[in-house]
Amino acid sequence: MPQTETYILNMGPQHPSTHGVLRVNLELDGEKILRATPMMGYLHRGIEKLLESRTYIQGVPYTDRLDYVSSMNNNFGYCRAVEELAGIEVPARAEYIRVIMAELNRIASHQVFIGSLANDLGASTGMLYTFRDREEILDLFDLVCGARMTFHYIRVGGVARNLPPEFAEKCRKFLDRVPEFTEEYANLLMGNEIFQRRLKGVSRLTPEQALAHNMTGPNIRATGIPFDLRKVDGYSVYPQFAFEVPVGENGDNWDRFRVRFREITESARIVRQALEGLPEGPVMAKFPKMLKPPKGEVFSRTEGTRGELGFYIVSDGTAKPYRVHIRRPSFINMQALDDMCRGYLIGDSVVAFSAIDPLMGEVDC
Amino acid sequence: MFGKGLITGMGITIRHFFGKKATFCYPEEKLTMTEHFRGGHLTIDYKKCIACQLCAIQCPNQAIKLKVVTDANRKRHLESYVHSMGRCLYCDLCIEGCAPHALSWDKDYEISTWHKEDLVHQVMTDEDRSYLAEVMTQAAANPTPPPVPKAAPKPAAAAPPAAKPADTEVKPRE
Repeated sequence: MPQTETYILNMGPQHPSTHGVLRVNLELDGEKILRATPMMGYLHRGIEKLLESRTYIQGVPYTDRLDYVSSMNNNFGYCRAVEELAGIEVPARAEYIRVIMAELNRIASHQVFIGSLANDLGASTGMLYTFRDREEILDLFDLVCGARMTFHYIRVGGVARNLPPEFAEKCRKFLDRVPEFTEEYANLLMGNEIFQRRLKGVSRLTPEQALAHNMTGPNIRATGIPFDLRKVDGYSVYPQFAFEVPVGENGDNWDRFRVRFREITESARIVRQALEGLPEGPVMAKFPKMLKPPKGEVFSRTEGTRGELGFYIVSDGTAKPYRVHIRRPSFINMQALDDMCRGYLIGDSVVAFSAIDPLMGEVDC
Repeated sequence: MFGKGLITGMGITIRHFFGKKATFCYPEEKLTMTEHFRGGHLTIDYKKCIACQLCAIQCPNQAIKLKVVTDANRKRHLESYVHSMGRCLYCDLCIEGCAPHALSWDKDYEISTWHKEDLVHQVMTDEDRSYLAEVMTQAAANPTPPPVPKAAPKPAAAAPPAAKPADTEVKPRE
């Protein structure tokens, strides 16, 4: 009887499917994964400490660089936390613009997810289609804030500047195209048998497991738990809009894909309603330029594209925060990688990683 | 039927193969940047600048280093203005903080360089420097008498930091 033993395979950090720089230690028995340990820290920039050495307003552009695919949502989370700390009342128009931007960015982020998932499965064509449509959202952002990444548009107290007059028309034009391109993705990818076989029933997580890992966002919704902070907390002006929270049934990769796919349509619905009800008025609250929030601490959470994005800020009454901690959804969701990989093949580990949709900028912070 | 999805997918590919192109030939055709585009080199309208140093104070990453010189009329002028593009976050805080709207981006997006040293951009042009020399000599030639202090001078706020004759340099914050 020949003796066999397990061996360790080091995947990454420079691996095209790791969406950045992640190293995974895979303990293998032949092709089968026994254990997957994510090793993080290759993209660590110390953003929490950078935020602590800048004033509250100077910190906003650094939050762009956390999750650089959905910068608007990061700006939104940080600004909400600072506003709660300093007791700043944001004008209604600014809140509506923020919701429009956050939801557009959610669509863009999910398009990146679909594209990169397709790419990881070997369907490189799928990536080009989603990135082509994402361009339109980036063009909209370019119009309002002058940047295609790292937007720095949502500021403490409101937004940087009012919407340009042609924005509403261009945005509606994009929203009209949403059913068109989602159908195209459906025909191109979702109908494809290879795509389905690679995702269905793979990397299944039970709701209990997902809860034990403290997963949030589309990953927990895929297991059937309708936890969406836009509904649960109802922050900002979200309670005024009608939208559904898509949930999955099995908690497998297919559901993770389906949940995000349907969220694109729901986000488009929110943007359309927000554009309809956009009130007039100022877009920036009035507050002293050198912002010195009173002593205290705050934990504010928003629904980022990848889950619950929380900012914990401690103020000691000076112009700079005493401590900033960021609850990054990608980092916490990543902990489920081990459970999702066990018992599957090496090829499935790449898919599992892609289906969690972590962004290394956010994981390492 | 197995393979139906594949055929539908291929249909989309074929339709796009004969459809309109989504790309264009970049170096020949170029995009025009939007009105608020943040990128390229920082430019300064030297005659508008009041050398208040607010841009350097606003900068989150100390990308702007500037020197201020005071002429015989106690008026401040920029002596040098360096923008480290390698440090810059392109966050627009300097431009929004500029009270006389002297700062702007030149919207040139082809700013990659071969060497790190080339990223240090001297914002002041030779024209600005000759203008500065001209202003300095003019002020030295016919200095206006300093204003007579009033009976009850306003404290602190009224006294401009320009009262210092020596050059002041913005030190990086700790």
